[in-house]
Formats: sequence, structure tokens, C-alpha cells
Amino acid sequence: MADLSLTVRDLSLRSNAAPLSTRISGGEIVGLAGLDGHGQDVFLRSLAGLERNSGAVDLQGNRIATFRDAERNAVVYVPRDRRSTGIFPGISILDNFAIATPGRDRRGPLISAKARRARYETWKERLQIKAPSPEAPITALSGGNQQKVLLARALARDPKVLLLNDPTRGVDVATRLVLYDLFRDLAAEGMALVILSSEIEEILVLCNRVLVFRDHALAAEMAGEAMGTEAVIAAMFGRAA
Amino acid sequence: MTRIFGRYGFAIGILVVLLIANLVMNPARFAPGNWPTLLGLAAPLIGAALASTPVILAGRGGIDISVGPVMGLVSAVVIKVLYLDAGLASPFILWPAALLIGAAIGAFNGAMATVVRVQPIVATLGTYLILGGLTLTILPAPIGPAPDWLKAMAGAWSFLPLGLIAALWWALCRTPFHDQLMAVGSDDRAAYTAGVPVSLTRFLAYVLTGLLAGAAGMMLTALIGSADPKVGANYTLIAIAAVALGGVSLAGGRGGLLGAAIGAVDIFLLQSLLTAFNVSTYVLQVAYGTILVVAVVLIALQDRSTKRSHA
Repeated sequence: MADLSLTVRDLSLRSNAAPLSTRISGGEIVGLAGLDGHGQDVFLRSLAGLERNSGAVDLQGNRIATFRDAERNAVVYVPRDRRSTGIFPGISILDNFAIATPGRDRRGPLISAKARRARYETWKERLQIKAPSPEAPITALSGGNQQKVLLARALARDPKVLLLNDPTRGVDVATRLVLYDLFRDLAAEGMALVILSSEIEEILVLCNRVLVFRDHALAAEMAGEAMGTEAVIAAMFGRAA
Repeated sequence: MTRIFGRYGFAIGILVVLLIANLVMNPARFAPGNWPTLLGLAAPLIGAALASTPVILAGRGGIDISVGPVMGLVSAVVIKVLYLDAGLASPFILWPAALLIGAAIGAFNGAMATVVRVQPIVATLGTYLILGGLTLTILPAPIGPAPDWLKAMAGAWSFLPLGLIAALWWALCRTPFHDQLMAVGSDDRAAYTAGVPVSLTRFLAYVLTGLLAGAAGMMLTALIGSADPKVGANYTLIAIAAVALGGVSLAGGRGGLLGAAIGAVDIFLLQSLLTAFNVSTYVLQVAYGTILVVAVVLIALQDRSTKRSHA
């Protein structure tokens, strides 16, 4: 896990956009910033194998070209639009959590409800999910808690690389702080996190490094001390800082 | 338990009312000793309803209208080709043959719907027509008889095929497949991003439907004790009505085989009650339609109110 690295080589986010290359290592939290629709979303989805663009994405030498490759290599993507591509509204909280990893609850050939519940409880504790009962439909939860259930679903897959598409959108402040602590813990455990956020402050607080996108190309890359609100905004609008 | 009742409440309500009405109106026919025979009478419809369910659960317009013709074809092949022409009488040959035919047709429908991506209703309409013609080519007129062991499955042993299907479904509900099926039916895009193999799950739902349709074909053969090329197709639409009545959402992702079975029993009981009154079959159809519309409206209202209470 120590020398985990996700390598991006000559990735074009759009035909005739300038290709970009970068390397993301385990333990790192990388932020993606930019005005909406300037390529950061495509970049994140490319890392998950959901887009087909020229260029290559590798994790430890394993090519990630399709979503299936991403799945096989424990690169896990948490989508932005919770309602349309995240939750299953008709299904219980417990099953919403377990749907990506049903095989883990197997005892012999059949699924044990008890094992599933136990697995859910550990994540519930860690993410501080506030839910009435695991059998309740997921729509009974607040947006923040729905997001936590989705995160628990993703984390249950033991990701090496976690790709988060605006994870704190529509989430209350208290929950955000819980999530920030969680992300830092995960990075400390050696996971690589890539977080797209529409809020610059969030990126500055959370990330070690930020990639700023403009016109489907990498406009700036900043790390550590150099990261500042002014600089990021300047890069977003294509002005020299 | 409350969850089961909540979903199937309406179908169970009708079941209780119709059962009591039948017991009062027709005590001789509904005496406990006759129940195996009654179950045998209801079995083809129950089987057809069970068969129609998995693809409907898989969502995105999933439907298989070739269930009825599959039943007809299975009946024709098993009796005409295997039993009478080839002289094979063992249940251990005829049952696997029936299931295999069903599963193969299911796989074909599944490939059309998930790989070629023809709309399910069009794909299975094609199969419906092909199978109807094929059955009549194999067997232009009814022929019999069926082996004795098979006829017994419409009498004393009628619980056996349905019991096996129940056991199979019970086990399936405890495998990842069931969860994935419900997830795919509920929202296929969310299922995809959660790493569920969407196309494979849907494909398997079609195979399961075909398999169950094969079993339903055997129950039909058992009941009529012969093969009739024209009966099978009649089950298609009434089976879908039973599924809807049993609280299975035609949009996918909600319900289960238990509901479909209850819906089918409801329709069977309604049929036998109205027959006891000597009502014409035309009126029977009106009754089916009415009860179906009422049921679907009530289920929709119930869904809306649960959604509101959790919003």
C-alpha cells in the first residue's frame, strides 16, 4: 500500500485539448477545482474508467480503461448526483449500503442477514450515521446521512483509490466536519483520495495538492504553501496570479 | 412480516375475502380434501405469474410476453416429441428437458433485451409469434395422454413443483443475485455506479423467467393431461395481471414471487367464485379487468403515501 500510485499520462479531456499528466500517490488527498464544466468532472470520471479519452490511466501498472478495470483494481467512484446515480429510493438503508458488496455477507452459499447487519453497524459507528432503523427506506434519511450511507457503500469495497465527486454537496456543516476527519484518516491509512469540490475553501482545508482546470486542460497545480484562495481563483479564471 | 403485509396487503385482503366467499358458496369443492386438486387447477396460472415476475423486477420496461407460448411449446415437445414419439417417460428426462427449453428461450430473450437492446416487449413479442407458430407446426391438434406421474402433479402431488419453486426463490433471496436484481430494477444507473453487473443481472432474470415458464408448461400439461397447442398463449396476459395484482411494481425493483403467487391465487378464486354463480366468461373478463385496475390504483396510492411520510 505504501507505494501506491495512480499515474495519468497524456490524458486529453476533450479532443484537441492540451493533454495532462500527473501522479497521485497513496496517502495523498488531491483536490480538483475549476468553474463548473471545465473538465474536472471529466478528469475524475476518466480516473474511474467512465470516459473514453486518449491517454492512459494506470494503477501500479494496471491499465484503467473501463469502469470494470476500475472496479477490479479497487478504484471506487462516488457519484455527484445522489438522487439519480447514487441511492435506490425504494430499498432499505441496509440494502443500499450492502448492494456493492453482497458477497461479503455470505455464510456458505446464502447471505446471512446478521452478518450484513454487523458489517453495517461498524460503518454506521465510524461514519456516525444517524438512522432510525436499518430497515427504513433510505429516503427517510437527511441528505447528509444518505451521503454517509453511500460513502459506507463505497468504503465497504476496500478502495485503494477513492474518487469523490463533490461529496459534501447539500450536506450540513456538522456532517462535513465528520467527513473531513474521515477523509484524513483514510489518507493516513494509505488510501489515495481525489476530491472534486465546488468549494475552494473545502479544498484548501482538506487537500495536500490542488489541480485547477480551465477549458478542459490543467491550468495550474499547487501544493502546500502555494495553495491559496486568490491563486486558485486566478487560475480558474485564466488570469496570472 | 409487517413489510410483507404492507406490500401485499391488498392482494391478501382480496384473498381472504374470496376464500371465505368460495368456502361459503361452494363448500363441497373447497373441502380440505380437495385442496391438492384445487392447487393443481390453479398451478399453471400461478406458474405463469411466477415466471413473469423476475424480468418485471429487473426494471426498465422488462416484460416477457412469451411466457404463455413457452408453456405451450414445452407441453407440445414433452408430450408429442419426447413422450409419444421417442418413448421417453421418465420424469428425470422430461422435467430437465422442459426446464432446458424454457431456460434456452429465456436466454434468447435475455440476449435480445440486454445485448442487442431491443425493447423487451418487442423482443418477446417476436418470440411469442415464433413459438406460437412452432408449437402448431410440431402439434397441429391436441394430443394425449400424459404420463401418469405427470397427471398426479395436478392432483395429490400438485404442491411439489410449486414447493420446489418456493424453495428455489427462498434460496435466491439469500444470494447476491436477488439484491442485485432489486437494485437494477430500482435504478440501473445507480446500480452501475455501485458496481452491480447490470446487463448480466438482467440477462439472468430472463433466464430465470424462461426456466419458470418451462416449469409452468409442465404444470399445464399435468392439468390438462395432454398437450394442446392453443392453451398456453392464453396465460400470458392474465399472468401479468396477476403479477400487478400481487403488488409487483411494473416499473421494477419492488415485489417478489410471493406477491405474484398471491395475485394468481386471487384471480383463480375469483374465477371459481364467478363460475359457481354461473356467470358467463365474458363477465369474468370484465371482473378481472376491474379488479386489476382497482388493485393497481390502490397500490399506487399506498406508494405515494409511504413516499410522503418519509420525505
